[in-house]
Amino acid sequence: MIYILTVPGPIEDVEEVRVLEWHGEPGRRFEIGELLVELETHKALVEVRTGQPGMLRRILSKAGDWQALGGALAVFSDGPDEALPDSADGLASIAVDFEIS
Amino acid sequence: MSDEAASAPVKLFFREAIARALAEEMARDEHIRLFGQDIGAFGGAYKEFLGLFERFGPARVRDMPVAEASMVGVAVGAAAMGCRSLVSITYMDFLMLGLDPLVNYAAKARFKTAGQITVPVVVKATLGAKGQGVAHSQCLESWLMGVPGLRVVAPSTPADAYGLLKSALREPGPVVFLDHKRLFPIAGDVPSGEGLVPIGSAAVRRSGADVTVTAHAAMVRVALDAAEQLAAEGVSCEVIDLRTLAPLDVPTLAASAARTCALVTVEEGQVACGVGAEVAARLAETIGPLPVARVGALPAPVSSSASLERAVLPDAARVAGAVRRLLRQRGLERA
Repeated sequence: MIYILTVPGPIEDVEEVRVLEWHGEPGRRFEIGELLVELETHKALVEVRTGQPGMLRRILSKAGDWQALGGALAVFSDGPDEALPDSADGLASIAVDFEIS
Repeated sequence: MSDEAASAPVKLFFREAIARALAEEMARDEHIRLFGQDIGAFGGAYKEFLGLFERFGPARVRDMPVAEASMVGVAVGAAAMGCRSLVSITYMDFLMLGLDPLVNYAAKARFKTAGQITVPVVVKATLGAKGQGVAHSQCLESWLMGVPGLRVVAPSTPADAYGLLKSALREPGPVVFLDHKRLFPIAGDVPSGEGLVPIGSAAVRRSGADVTVTAHAAMVRVALDAAEQLAAEGVSCEVIDLRTLAPLDVPTLAASAARTCALVTVEEGQVACGVGAEVAARLAETIGPLPVARVGALPAPVSSSASLERAVLPDAARVAGAVRRLLRQRGLERA
C-alpha cells in the first residue's frame, strides 16, 4: 500500500513550516518510532517519527522547502516494489508521531 | 553576488527578516550596538536576534537586566555619544518605563542643540495581545505619534519588517520600530538586495472603490479578511497598510479616501485618541468631511482569559460590521 506523509498538526499558531532535514534517502525502510524528518516553525523544531513501518519512496518537499500544515512531504509504501501513482491525491496518510521542542 | 541572485526574494519567517536586517546593517555600520533582555546567546524572546551575538560579540550585542528605564537611557546616551543604538523592549507595555529618555531626551536633542547632537536610536518593541494578560498585551503606539522628533513604524509583513528596520537604522533621529506578537508565526518573501522601505510610506494592500480601510501591524490581516468577506456581498474595500504611524502618509490615504468617500480605521489599541482618530482628523483636514467609523479594542484591559481576550480585540466580523453600518448610513444620507 502507498501512503502520503503530510505536515502533522495542529501546531499552535503555525500556518507554515520549513523542512529542515530529512533523515534518510528514498529507498530507506523506517521502523516504528524512527526520526523521519525535522521541520522548523517560527520558534520551534518539530520532530516527525514513524507511527508504522514503511519505506520512504519519494520526497516531495526537500530541505529548505516551505509547506502548509497538512501539505505533502513524502510518499511511502509498505514494500519496495509497489508502483507509485502519478498523483498523491487520495492516498492514505502514514501514521506518525510528532514532538515539538 | 550576481544581479540575479541579488534580486531573487527569499522566503523568511518574520523573526528572520528582523535578524537579517540587523545583521546586514551591523556589518555595514560598525557603530551599531544592540541592547536588550535575552538578546545575546538566547537569541531574543522571539528568536529575532538569533546568530547576532555569535557573529558580532558581546560588545555589540548586549544583554541587559530587567530595567527598561536604564536600558533606554543607556541606548539613548550611547547614541548621543556617537553610537547607533537599537534597544529591544520585549513588551511594549514596559516602554512606559523608558519614555523619559526617549521622549524628553532622544526626540528633543536635535531641536535643543540646533542639530549639534543627534540621537540615532531605534527602540524596537513588541505589540499586541497573545494570551499574556493585562500588562503584556497593550498597543500604546498612538501615545507616541504626537511626539515631535519621533518616528514610529509598525510593519505587517516580513518584507516591511526588513525594509523598515534597515531604514530605521539609517535615520539620524529616534525611531520606534513596532513588531507584533501575532505576526511572528508569519513567513513571507523578503528581497535579497537592499530592500529598504522608506519611512512615511503607506501601502495599498487591496484596491477597492466603496470604502477606505486603514490598519497597521497585525490588524492588516484582520482588515484584509473583512474585505474578503465583504467582497462576497458586493462591497469593495480598499485596504491600506499604514506601515508608518509618524509621519502618516497623508497623500496616499487622502487619494484613497477622496475616491471612496468613506473611512473605517482599524487598530488593536484603544480608539480614544488612537491611530484611527488621527487618520480621520488628518483626512478631514485634507479632503473635507467624510463618514468615519473607528474600530479598536473594547474599552477594557486585555484579559488573561482567552475568551475575554478575543472579545476585547477587533476581528474581521467587527470590521465588516462597521463597514456595513457606515455604508448603510451613507446610503441613507444620500437618499
